[in-house]
Amino acid sequence: MSSDHSKVEYLKPEILKSLGNLELIAKEIVAGQKVGAHRSNLKGFSSEFSHHRPYAPGDPIRDLDWRVFARTEKYYTKLYEAETNFECQVLLDASSSMNYASGEVSKLEYSKYLAASICYLILNQQDTVGLSVFDSRLRAHVPPKSTMGILVEIEKSLREIDSLPKDSLSKQLHDTALQLKRRSFVILISDLFSDVDDLMSGLDHLKHDGHNVIVLQTLDPYELDFPFKGTWRFEGLESEEELITQPDRIRTDYLKNLDEHLTQVRDRCVRSNVDYLQLNTSHSLGLALSRFLQSRTMERMGPTSGISS
Amino acid sequence: MSFMSPFLLLGAAGIALPIIAHILNNHKFQHTDWAAMRFLNTAAKVKSREIRIKDILLLILRCLAILMLALVISRPLVDEESSVLSSFGERRAGVIIALDASYSMLHKDGAISRFDRAKEKVKRMVANLTPGDPITFLLLGMEHRIVLRNRAFHSDTFLEVLEEQVAHPEALDLDSVPRRLRELVDEMDAPQKEVYIVTDVQEQDWKLGASRLKYALKDLGDSAKLVMVPVSGSHENLSITKFEFVSGVLRKDTSARYSVTVNNFGNQPAVGVKVSGKINNITVDQQMIPRIAPGSAETVSLFLSFQNPGPARISAHIQDDDLPLDNIRRAVAIIRDRVSILCVDGDGGQTFLSSALLAREGGVEEKDYSVTTIPWVNFPAHDLSLYDVVVMAGVPTITEDQTKKLDLFVRKGNGLVWLPGEKTKWKSWNERAKLGESSLLPAELEGVIKTGGAMGVGRPLSLDIPEHSVSNPLRSLSEDLLSEARFLKVYQVNPSPNSTTLLKLAGNAYPLLLEHSHGRGQVFMFTSLAGTEWNNMALTPLFPMLLQQMVTYLTSREFEKPRLVGNSLKLSYVEEPDVIEAVFESPSGDSLTVPVHSHRNQHAAILGQADEVGFYLAMGTLQSPALPIAVNVDTSESMVKCLSAESYDETFSNTGVKIASSDDELEASIMDSRSKISLWKFFGILGCLIMLIEGILCCRLPKGKREVPVTKGA
Repeated sequence: MSSDHSKVEYLKPEILKSLGNLELIAKEIVAGQKVGAHRSNLKGFSSEFSHHRPYAPGDPIRDLDWRVFARTEKYYTKLYEAETNFECQVLLDASSSMNYASGEVSKLEYSKYLAASICYLILNQQDTVGLSVFDSRLRAHVPPKSTMGILVEIEKSLREIDSLPKDSLSKQLHDTALQLKRRSFVILISDLFSDVDDLMSGLDHLKHDGHNVIVLQTLDPYELDFPFKGTWRFEGLESEEELITQPDRIRTDYLKNLDEHLTQVRDRCVRSNVDYLQLNTSHSLGLALSRFLQSRTMERMGPTSGISS
Repeated sequence: MSFMSPFLLLGAAGIALPIIAHILNNHKFQHTDWAAMRFLNTAAKVKSREIRIKDILLLILRCLAILMLALVISRPLVDEESSVLSSFGERRAGVIIALDASYSMLHKDGAISRFDRAKEKVKRMVANLTPGDPITFLLLGMEHRIVLRNRAFHSDTFLEVLEEQVAHPEALDLDSVPRRLRELVDEMDAPQKEVYIVTDVQEQDWKLGASRLKYALKDLGDSAKLVMVPVSGSHENLSITKFEFVSGVLRKDTSARYSVTVNNFGNQPAVGVKVSGKINNITVDQQMIPRIAPGSAETVSLFLSFQNPGPARISAHIQDDDLPLDNIRRAVAIIRDRVSILCVDGDGGQTFLSSALLAREGGVEEKDYSVTTIPWVNFPAHDLSLYDVVVMAGVPTITEDQTKKLDLFVRKGNGLVWLPGEKTKWKSWNERAKLGESSLLPAELEGVIKTGGAMGVGRPLSLDIPEHSVSNPLRSLSEDLLSEARFLKVYQVNPSPNSTTLLKLAGNAYPLLLEHSHGRGQVFMFTSLAGTEWNNMALTPLFPMLLQQMVTYLTSREFEKPRLVGNSLKLSYVEEPDVIEAVFESPSGDSLTVPVHSHRNQHAAILGQADEVGFYLAMGTLQSPALPIAVNVDTSESMVKCLSAESYDETFSNTGVKIASSDDELEASIMDSRSKISLWKFFGILGCLIMLIEGILCCRLPKGKREVPVTKGA
């Protein structure tokens, strides 16, 4: 990596250092233009045997397995695995709700670090990565590239974001599904404060198109614990009506509602074969990310869900 | 309304705290942007007005709770009749009960004593007392014994304690009663304080001391309601008020005359009063007093003959009456096997001295009573252990060794009589008689002074003769006989601080005979010698009388002198004992261990106070024989006549003291005294209720509003 890239604001050296020795291994094989460290599900020109299938007209004659034919007098075609790279599209929710911060780092800032870190990591593996930033509409789009220069573009895009309230997450997911030409990794980073059905319709669209979808839900610790005392005026970031209340009175209900929402999101993701990870913005980003990636390595054959600790 | 601790009302200023907190927090909402609005229960929206009303309600409740707390700790009182609040309070009082436990309270009218009747009165007093009220209970006597001090009242416990109390064989020190009660009142913490004095109101104490008591009682009445509960009764009582040795020798096979004075303190004449004398509880003599008029005393002589040497417990008895405690009087006599007197003659030819000591016609020596006269130059070689008394007559001077010899002799309990002579070197005596800080002699000599008049007539004796075993016979002599003795010259002396002057010359008060105790013995000192140039004592019966009395007195021990209940008992050691504790056995058989104290080479064990009447036994060491000490009652308490009801007004006027003679009066006094109603408990309960309501409002009010289900994530 060139020294220029270390200037990128979001690529915190302390975060990337902890991720340096990890390999991002995709859960499923994504077809790629370049030969990399990832297996492709496209059988092609490779010396690594995959499996047999009955011969079909049009198959190359050279792939016929004559030895099997000699034993069984049936035609079987040999299929090979080809190593390839993959394309990843990071979708970053930059709507107003992401601006909430109980401490120094807002959810959006945390998500920016996260997105930048993921991009850097993917680029470091000679893979291709692109970034879409959206709120109620698409705010910025950096097409997938495999050069580190894209990080500068991504950083510029993130810096220029001026948040607006979002009305629907699924709209952006549908748009992304239509835009993606190849089967890709799609990483959605959002607080997911929207209708679950709406969200899942977008995610299901992406899955339907064969994309490998990962959902990273970023939440503030105050949103998770609701530790307010006294009388508070809550002003909605998504243009909701303000609420003056005594949080002590509603804390139990709030936590119950939040838990129901989170459980629903997690369960639906698992059901739709979407990887899900909940991230607490008060926790170390590097540690959370590395754990997620480790879990993906361990469980590469199935979807995962979890909460970062 | 009044307050027991009004300054604690300042605590009410604490209501400023919730008010300040309210003002600081009033309508001051904290503000935050919030992303997860969809999960908040919008039904729990709070309106400013609702908050304000609720806060003000809570503020009022909190202020009231603090006010109640301030009222509780300042302990408010209201008069029973002056406030409607009095019906919510309770009568609370701190009670001090002073029960006269002097032995006059043992006087019986029939079967029941005054003390028992007083106990019944006390039971009536505490019947209306609320459990938990502070109570102090003390027995009055010479030493006031506090039985319960500022304790929370519990009926059963108190009655149990009351039943255990008995009267003590001691007099009442009335003067100290108001002061002691004032101390107890001051230390008591109660809404209103009541002092009950239950006593037989002996006339001799209360009437005679009324003037000085009035001020003290008035002072006491300022701090507490004072109620006098008299327990009076008849005052018929016979008492032996005196039992003392008069004449004779306390020696084996001799007789001594003791006089017994019986007083009739009653209204009726006592007829045929039988007086018996006992030695070691065996009656040896009995006399009859035909009649003792009311309020007068009769004296009778008992002749007690002693058969055995050693300490003898002697006592005089009259028949039991309503107060038996003063019907016996006790004394101890140490009976000697024989009495030997060494007369050291410094002038030569003082034969009249030995004659006077023998007191027998022609100076004939009696069996078991010897007088040995030696010239003073032979004194150093003489063994003093053979003698009981040494008479140093006109000895010019002595050496330091001789002083030490005499010092040890006297300390062991023997006697020394010192007379000056023509050759006496008084300066040398002053110097040699010194023993460190003390002196062998009771006075320092300051030279001869002429006391004769211009006509050559000597100065007579002063008629002011103190009471003392030695001088008592002179008191009974006629004035004419006393004035026959004339003194031309005496030694002027400077008496030591602990000496007693028994005889002195008339007018300018030159001491003639001085005495002081030295160790366990006594030293007598004449300031004039028995010579015609000095005085004419030898020509009068005075000199032999005095010498005889002195010998008798000196050959008795310290323990012979009876003590009164409340006095200390002292056991002196001649030399440093090899034990650190002495044992006194009380008449009831209790063993009391007392440490041996040493001071200026004197060693003694002192029992602080004799509590019982009878014979105590003092044991210096385990091996040493027990020495009896007689302890009698103070007969000042025998005059059991009570103050009449008519005299109460005069005695207790302007003191604020209420008299409750009858049970009804006592009941009325209690109700009248307990007029203040304590409200602290009422305010305490009210405060707790307010806190409870505040707590419920704090918790319950918001919950009632929180019913609408919240927006779900889906």
